[in-house]
Amino acid sequence: MMHGTIRSVSCVWVVWVCLFFCSSVTMVGAAPICANAQGGCHVLSLANLFDRVIQHSARTHGISNNLHTEFEQYFMPSKNHIGRVSRNCHTSSILTPNGKDNAQRMAREELTEVILKLLVAWRDPLWHFHQSMAHHHDFNNFSSNKALEMSNMVHELHKGVEKVAEKMQVLGIISNTVSSLVSPEALLASDSSEWRPMRDYDLLYCFRRDSNKVQNYLKILKCRIIPEHGC
Amino acid sequence: MRNVFEVMLLLLLLLLPLVTAHAGGQPNSPPGKPVLTSCRSPEKETFTCWWKPGSDGGLSTKHSLFYRKESSDAVHECPDYRTAGENSCFFNKNNTAIWVNYNITVVATNSLGSAYSDPVEVDVVYIVQPNPPENVTVSVMEDKGWPFLRVSWEPPRKADTRSGWITLVYELRVKLKEEDDWETHLAGQQKMFNILSLPSGGEYQVEVRCRPDHGFWSEWSSTSKANVPHHFRRDNSTWILMTVFFAFTFLIVAWLLHLNRHNLKRCILPPVPGPKIKGFDKKLLKSGKSNEIFSALVVPDYPSTPSSNYEDLLVDYLEVYVPTERELQLEESKDPHDDRLKSDSSTSDSDSGRGSCDSHTLLVDKEAKEEARQAECGQTRTEVQRSLKDWDALTYAQIDMVGRDVPSGRVKTWPSLYSPLPRHSSGPLDQQSSLQMAKQHSLSTSSFLAQEASGESYWDVCSHGELPRPLRAKTPPHRGLRARSDADVSGAGLKRAPAGPRSLAPHTSEYVEVQRVNNKDVVLLQPVVTGCYQALPGEVYSKVKRVDSDNILLLQREAREEDGYPGAEQENTTQKASACVYAAVLVQDQMAPMVNGYVDTATMCTLTC
Repeated sequence: MMHGTIRSVSCVWVVWVCLFFCSSVTMVGAAPICANAQGGCHVLSLANLFDRVIQHSARTHGISNNLHTEFEQYFMPSKNHIGRVSRNCHTSSILTPNGKDNAQRMAREELTEVILKLLVAWRDPLWHFHQSMAHHHDFNNFSSNKALEMSNMVHELHKGVEKVAEKMQVLGIISNTVSSLVSPEALLASDSSEWRPMRDYDLLYCFRRDSNKVQNYLKILKCRIIPEHGC
Repeated sequence: MRNVFEVMLLLLLLLLPLVTAHAGGQPNSPPGKPVLTSCRSPEKETFTCWWKPGSDGGLSTKHSLFYRKESSDAVHECPDYRTAGENSCFFNKNNTAIWVNYNITVVATNSLGSAYSDPVEVDVVYIVQPNPPENVTVSVMEDKGWPFLRVSWEPPRKADTRSGWITLVYELRVKLKEEDDWETHLAGQQKMFNILSLPSGGEYQVEVRCRPDHGFWSEWSSTSKANVPHHFRRDNSTWILMTVFFAFTFLIVAWLLHLNRHNLKRCILPPVPGPKIKGFDKKLLKSGKSNEIFSALVVPDYPSTPSSNYEDLLVDYLEVYVPTERELQLEESKDPHDDRLKSDSSTSDSDSGRGSCDSHTLLVDKEAKEEARQAECGQTRTEVQRSLKDWDALTYAQIDMVGRDVPSGRVKTWPSLYSPLPRHSSGPLDQQSSLQMAKQHSLSTSSFLAQEASGESYWDVCSHGELPRPLRAKTPPHRGLRARSDADVSGAGLKRAPAGPRSLAPHTSEYVEVQRVNNKDVVLLQPVVTGCYQALPGEVYSKVKRVDSDNILLLQREAREEDGYPGAEQENTTQKASACVYAAVLVQDQMAPMVNGYVDTATMCTLTC
């Protein structure tokens, strides 16, 4: 008898509490997507895509920053290391705007291509970086997981940017000259074994910078194409 | 004069080294090493570096800054030493490359040498520290009676957020004027913020600052002030919490009460012991008709069937002592007091649960004298019958019950059966006098009996009575068994006042078996059945109607229910003129125990014959 009573009372109590609090909490209704006409809907979804891609790139950069800081503590490279000065990232062959004016002067298509090139160029090196980290017993699992995550994110980011480029091409915002797959520079950068002699630390350093570039270029691109959404 | 000159020369000579020493100061040395303190970029388009010079070594020292870009060996000097102030180098837009490592060194030079500072690697992206936000405005607004602060600001002028070059994140803090601690809020990338949780009215101060996604926080903006009117803070959530708490407590208490409801019920409303009288009807009591109540109390089947509770019955046999003359005297002398006492004690003893079997007053078992008695019973039978037929009036019996702890010996029960005489006698008879009378009566009757020659022998023999079957107690045979027949007594009573012994028709004395005593101290008699007799159908049993206030047992004749005669139990005793009490009723078998309220006066014979 007692269990039944307890159960019934607790059930009633739970139901009552739930009803009470659910009624007081205002439910946020989801805004309808594409409620407007066709054209408006396209624009909205492009902004959405851009936002997602930018978020993705921000996340990638954050991970690379963390890993770089960890490496710096681990290796403790002295400031007098001369090798650092003459470091050459394998992506330095890709021409990237180094300033705001340069970036703004660049055409949208060029900018998009630059982004894609960068992303392509980093696919293989990151994968190998992850592999080398996994084999190294010096690093803990946490760092290894981060490297793997970084590698995956770059891959996804590349796909996302490709989609954005497609969308822009469809919308006529950019011409159809953008194509990262066939770009010789990209192929060169990815196939070249320039990055192989690089040490892990230098690799991280270079990637940290390049991810920042990608993020920044995406932002510039977005605010140039869709300035009204959060710029 | 010459002395003065000499003194002056001496003084000069003395002072000269001092002068030269003073003029020289510390010895000249190359400058100390300068230190680059920081490099900052406010908008990610230009940047400035500051250094701290070391000791200058006593000579004028010149500081110069040199830098080298990454992947280039060309060394450049700082383009602008002045814009940013003392000991600084300002890199303008043309000289600033983002995502490029700068290797910067400061050199301090004086005539004796130069000193190089430690090189610093700078990437402009990571040294961005914007200016504080501008145009911070605070306004007091109201929402449903609640005031709140709306803070809005603008990004620093130089930072270009519109093109997406820089993304700034803002933070603001607020406090009352008199307070010391700030309350900070992270505003994200938005340029407006509502502060809702204002504890009270007063003057509020707000400041805002910003930071790029990877960079340094700016300085706090200038303080903006706003006056919030005083208001009473009534929090809905407080009411909700209180309601929830009380409801929860109430539920728990209710549940606990529900679990303990039986205990509570017992505690608050203790069960009232109801009357356990058979035939007692509460409803009748409420209606208030006493006749009905009393008539209802007379339960038809009372006492219960002998087979069911025969063992429970308090079967006490009323011994009727038929003493010899000697014994009479003895008894007279000493017994009254004892008996009275004992009877008092017995009357005060309201216990109804004692087994009659254990009573010392119970008669002896019959094993030895069964046959003898039976033989002798025959004679008495007829006499009893006669006496029974003669009997016409109600008989009253006074019975003093004696409990089981009465010592064995004489029968202390005085089944003195009164005629109506004492009833009609004037004045209330107190117990003592009635006892006396009873005693006298019994004595008289016993003496009557004693006088009879044959009767005495009978009675003597028969006095060794024995209990019928149901009785199990074995008492030592009494010589002084007394049995009194109703007819006997009545005869005596009718004819004369209680006086000396008279001769009476040799009426039989019977055993009256006390069936039980109910709650109202009503003694229910049952005639002890003898084997000789056959129960006379129809008019054999005497039923005890009730016990009067004077402890007078009212008997009446009832028809036996077994023979189909209607049991007239409900009639008023006073109207029962036709009721007779039979002196002897012999019930051979189980009839003996099943007299419910009947006085079976025939039992004597089984015992004695």
